[in-house]
Amino acid sequence: MLANTYERLKTQIGRRSFMKMAAVATAAGATNAFANDGVTRAATQEEVKNPFPGSTSVKTICTACSVGCGIIAEVQNGVWVRQEVAQDHPISLGGHCCKGADMIDMVRSEVRLKHPMVKEAGKWKRLSWDDALDRIATKLKASHETAGPDSAMFLGSAKMSTEQAYYFRKFAAMYGTNNIDHQARI
Amino acid sequence: MANTWGYGAMTNSLGDIQNAKAIIIFGANPAVNHPVGFQHFLKAKERNNAKIIVIDPVFTKTAAKADHYCQVRPGTDIPFMYGMLHLIFKNGWHDEKFISDRVYGMEDVMEEAKKWNPKKVEDVTGVPADQLIQVTTLYARSTPGTLIWAMGLTQHSNGSSNTRLAPILQLALGNMGVEGGGTNILRGHDNVQGATDMACLSDTLPGYYGLSDGAWQYFASSWGVDYEWLSGRFKSKEWMGKKGFTLARWWAGVLDGKDGNDQIHNAGTNLKNLFVMGNGITSIAQQAKVKEGLDNLDMIVLCDPFVNEAAILTDKQDDVFILPAATQFETSGSVTATNRSVQWRNKVVEPMYESKTDHDIMFELAKRLGFYDEYTAGMKIKENKQDYTWPEDATDEIARIIKTIGLTGWTAKRIKSHNENWHMFDQISGRGYGKMKGEYYGLPWPAWTETHGGSPLLYNINRSVAEGGMGFRNRFGLEHDGQDLLAGAGSAPKGSVQKDGYPEITAVNIEEVLGIKLTADEKKRIGKNWKVDTSNIIAEKCMEQGIAPYGNAKARAKVWTFPDQIPMHREPLHSPRSDLAKEYPSFDDKENHFRVDTKYISKQTEQDWSKDFPINLVTGRLVNMNGAGMENRASKYLAALTPEMFCSINPDLAGKYGIRDGSMMWIHSPEGTKIKVKAKYSHSVPEDRIFMPFHFAGHFQGEDLSHKYPKGTKPYAIGESANTVTNYGYDIVTQIPETKGGLCRIEFA
Repeated sequence: MLANTYERLKTQIGRRSFMKMAAVATAAGATNAFANDGVTRAATQEEVKNPFPGSTSVKTICTACSVGCGIIAEVQNGVWVRQEVAQDHPISLGGHCCKGADMIDMVRSEVRLKHPMVKEAGKWKRLSWDDALDRIATKLKASHETAGPDSAMFLGSAKMSTEQAYYFRKFAAMYGTNNIDHQARI
Repeated sequence: MANTWGYGAMTNSLGDIQNAKAIIIFGANPAVNHPVGFQHFLKAKERNNAKIIVIDPVFTKTAAKADHYCQVRPGTDIPFMYGMLHLIFKNGWHDEKFISDRVYGMEDVMEEAKKWNPKKVEDVTGVPADQLIQVTTLYARSTPGTLIWAMGLTQHSNGSSNTRLAPILQLALGNMGVEGGGTNILRGHDNVQGATDMACLSDTLPGYYGLSDGAWQYFASSWGVDYEWLSGRFKSKEWMGKKGFTLARWWAGVLDGKDGNDQIHNAGTNLKNLFVMGNGITSIAQQAKVKEGLDNLDMIVLCDPFVNEAAILTDKQDDVFILPAATQFETSGSVTATNRSVQWRNKVVEPMYESKTDHDIMFELAKRLGFYDEYTAGMKIKENKQDYTWPEDATDEIARIIKTIGLTGWTAKRIKSHNENWHMFDQISGRGYGKMKGEYYGLPWPAWTETHGGSPLLYNINRSVAEGGMGFRNRFGLEHDGQDLLAGAGSAPKGSVQKDGYPEITAVNIEEVLGIKLTADEKKRIGKNWKVDTSNIIAEKCMEQGIAPYGNAKARAKVWTFPDQIPMHREPLHSPRSDLAKEYPSFDDKENHFRVDTKYISKQTEQDWSKDFPINLVTGRLVNMNGAGMENRASKYLAALTPEMFCSINPDLAGKYGIRDGSMMWIHSPEGTKIKVKAKYSHSVPEDRIFMPFHFAGHFQGEDLSHKYPKGTKPYAIGESANTVTNYGYDIVTQIPETKGGLCRIEFA
């Protein structure tokens, strides 16, 4: 992606729609369709070296498996723009598998859930967070009173952070049940 | 493993595998499941001339890198390991001193091993006798040897015996507590270890404290809530102490014993509401039952970054909620790798779209359920704060409370400094350089105090406790059947005031065992024992005297509370060898196993399963996917690598049924379910078994469920779930499903 194209487009369109356009441009670019029509030009050396001016790098950890590889995530204007392996990480030593290399695409996947939904009479409907949480809490509360706390089952995750997993366990305890489990059981 | 020597976790580390001279891999496929971790295996081979031995029913990509590959029949790992032990004891290759000083109950194992000569092992496992002799000789003589396993050992009705016999094999050879040795379980997801330590589990509180009244009292006070209030939240105190339903069989809790389903014992109610956060329940066994369970719930709540395909599987028409959860790159927190080491995961971007972090969702619900103040009180205790900062105060809350696995040293500040300085650690030993000197990368637990550098290698008595050394844990009492359970003479960790075995440390015995005098103030502040000593006086004093707070005992080969005191072979519930199923029958049926009656022998003997279902069914992973595959199939690049569900089948087997390479085939299970998948010719499986990946969902018993996805959420690849045809069968102790070794019938579709 060329910096001047990016700069020009950034002022004209939103960041998210730009990301989509960039994907289209990449696909089209592969066929060299743009090469001769004056839309693209060769990148300057500075642009090749630093295609995302003003970006920051975040050291973080892959979420795929229990090896715990290092990831360097490059962020520009709040968008994860590029991912690099961590050459100096003591376990991954600069390695990435295809899942790990895909973390950036997972986060930016177009098929992510975008808002809360509920199925009513067999149809999916969008609803607000407040509505969703109110309705869920009302049902949980009612069952707690009528059928008792053991009428609920909580399935947590080996994909949560340790802090979240701990708070998930605490949540079940304070709801009043030991009906809680996660993927270590498979 | 926890029942053998105290902790159920990887004992060494990935880097340490480079120190091994021999690597034996049982039912694990790190080349595919942990590709970057596998480089340490390959380095051991390349630099250390280590020999790799792979034992697996399927010729995996890991097997392709092995020096020796043994194609074992599914569910016969115990005969194979006993076959190895048979030869080890017969030839005197075992470590006698290690066994007599540090192991209890090995005599019974020696007796059982006598029965498993190579010819008999060949008959049961399918591995030629010569090959067993060859690999055992190699492994026993190449020390140190490391033993690796994953779900290939656990997913059996007697998986908990498998995971005991593997440690016993290592104990027999004296391969424990040494560099390049150990039992190294490879965890699946990124934070299985952390979430297990934090007890997203139905049988314990965080830190494996269990569910006893004392444990609840400790947590109530540590959480800053009134114990009576907390117990009042439960149906009764009695139900506070009972294990709950598990991920494997929660659906039985919904079905309530109706229509021939197994009976449940759940405080007088069935399950009505299911709350799922980050869990692809389309990857658990018996999908048809999962669907039935889902269909009969009052409410389903699914929180995930992508659509949880439970929402697609169910025909439930109302009250199915899908909440967009943030990914772990949109929040920060700690994550525990397979080797018990912790890493700080920094937030990369803010939650996208309308998604919320998991903890925000829980906090919002706690507010609405009226316990938000109690819920968050624990984060404010340490510094008596008015408000908390997430996640640091939660990290520090955990460090303050969890003593059992030594998380005291895991303060947010220290974990972050390891992230900032990850370049300052050695790749093999994990030792820190420069300003990180004295610490191991990720402070592998136990990190007993706020300055302890972590324990990279469990049960190593050649280091002092302060430097990560320790004996086996004193967890099972001081004696059994008149025999001393404490470690033998001279087997205390280096630099200890006690040279022999000693019990776990309590307020009562601390002065005697450590040879110290406590001040009056210390006596006032000290907790009852090392597990509940929030003053941490016990751990601090122990470090000074070179004592492991949890004691120094023998590992046990014999677990007297288990149905089989020493691991015994039992055929899978669905065995292709009905003759052997008679000789090695399964367990008696088990009543109230995690709240549901569970069949063993009655299922095994219901009919001769092998007659109608002659083919073994094995499931596993693909390199481009993990778990239920939701995340990966939502990536167009990863999905493109395996766009379709398939079944690996040997051409000779396929030919018998007229199934061509690339044609569709039906697979039928003994439970009466079926799936339609594409056949892929492969010589990785012999003629008597097939292999399928378990990452797909979105088709069910031949039907494409595309129309059930909410608009714009359908992943780039969907397909039949292998778990629609995995069989009934659950581990006798852990209830892990028997997905590695069921039966099926196939036909051309």
